[in-house]
Amino acid sequence: MNDVVIPSRNHTGPVHAAGVSIKDLRKSYGSNEVLKGISLDVAPGAVVCLIGPSGSGKSTLLRCVNLLEQPNEGTIHVGGFEATDLDVDIDKMRRKVGMVFQQFNLFPHLNALRNCTIAQTKVLKRSQAAADKVAQANLDRVGLGHLADRFPDQLSGGQQQRVAIARALSMDPELMLFDEPTSALDPETVGDVLSVMRNLAKEGMTMLVVTHEMGFAREVADRVVFMDGGVVVEEGVAERVISNPTQGRTKEFLKRVLDPTHIEISE
Amino acid sequence: MAMTARQRARVSLYVQAGIFVVAMAALILATDWKTVTDNVFNFGKIGPMFPDIILIGLKNTLIYTFLGFIVGLSGGLLLALMKLSTFPLYRWIATGYIEFFRGIPALLVFIAFGYGVPLAFGVQWSVTVVVMVSLGMVAAAYIAETLRAGLQAVPKGQMEAARSLGMPMWRSMVTIVIPQAFRIVLPPLTNEVILLTKDSSLIYVLGLTASQYELTKFGRDGISSLGAGLTPLLVAGAFYLVVTIPLSLLARKFESRSARTKR
Repeated sequence: MNDVVIPSRNHTGPVHAAGVSIKDLRKSYGSNEVLKGISLDVAPGAVVCLIGPSGSGKSTLLRCVNLLEQPNEGTIHVGGFEATDLDVDIDKMRRKVGMVFQQFNLFPHLNALRNCTIAQTKVLKRSQAAADKVAQANLDRVGLGHLADRFPDQLSGGQQQRVAIARALSMDPELMLFDEPTSALDPETVGDVLSVMRNLAKEGMTMLVVTHEMGFAREVADRVVFMDGGVVVEEGVAERVISNPTQGRTKEFLKRVLDPTHIEISE
Repeated sequence: MAMTARQRARVSLYVQAGIFVVAMAALILATDWKTVTDNVFNFGKIGPMFPDIILIGLKNTLIYTFLGFIVGLSGGLLLALMKLSTFPLYRWIATGYIEFFRGIPALLVFIAFGYGVPLAFGVQWSVTVVVMVSLGMVAAAYIAETLRAGLQAVPKGQMEAARSLGMPMWRSMVTIVIPQAFRIVLPPLTNEVILLTKDSSLIYVLGLTASQYELTKFGRDGISSLGAGLTPLLVAGAFYLVVTIPLSLLARKFESRSARTKR
């Protein structure tokens, strides 16, 4: 299942979307190898969901893509950059890669608008006025334009996560990474965040999403990649992998996720 | 006649209050009030201390404290960042500095910079520079530890979020992490200022001209010139409280504010 190019859907709208190409990626913490040779390709504009039990290495894989974790072996190409090249300009590469965290990580000392402008002015050297305009447009896009002057502690979890998405989008990324974006949310706010992500996918953004939301994966993702124990166990078209998994470990995992109250009696 | 727990507690409280009253009464009766009034509360004779103790003494204490704090804060921030560095040499230097300056009396530092350095290097520093350097270097050691704790208290995700937006390391530190760390350490930092205010009195070991006197020096001078016993020291002490108590209240206010919100 290596080297499968995941095709893009037909998208409308002019978006510069970057692809990702990961080859034989390995990552260890001391003697604990968490990624054991992962290969994965994401075509520009495609949406790929990474699923799997906790500790399977999916978050680590995601964090390797923008080098929040340094891989030990293998190569990662993102857009025109080789992330694993030691001479790569990390900061320049990261501008093209938006990241959304499980814990939002909004800057608590800045209001929603400033959260979205700080990197624009400091990194992209946009004027404050230009940055404000981009930020406001992206806050509108996630449905929070009217809360631009609120501070993070005045927003609900779901609102904070949508601001975090707007913050990433304000840098005009060509690829978005989502690390369990709804896992820390109250159930009633999950839907708002997912619908923002759904719209983003429709607009043609390349998205790599670590998630436990199987409904979202089935509906929005082009491909689903099931990881376990640091390897890709199964991957394919979202609907097929989720409804009709071929590997035993995938079946077992999906059964537990889709029917958490199901109790298996074994001796 | 067994007592209930509540009764026992009440009796215990009465006994404690009784002991306190008896002790106070004994102290008051044993005191030679004439001598005390002449030597400690002799406010009739302290007139000549004013207004210079305020215009010069209090002013100089505030200036010395401020200068020491500025040096201490900059040095402390540098040391805190060195201590958190991934480069071992920086960590060792910072650790050595902090342990050394926290471990020796501030008075020795004042003597070293007031007399030792001029002798050794043949330079003559002004009193202001000596205070600034001595007070600042001692303060830096304490402030460094406070700031290090503050920097570490900022969640790791803040740095990751800043880096993932393409901000370089130093930019993320300056724009995102350090401002949050300062909010966290505002109460302990205010306490550092209180300590500095008092330590600025150590300048008395240097030879001062009249215009360089600070509060303690005024107090000590008053003892020998006014014939009011220790009363001038009491006055000087009162002026320290005028500075430190509001700072204390300020620290408490910061504390309750940061408890309410992370902003």
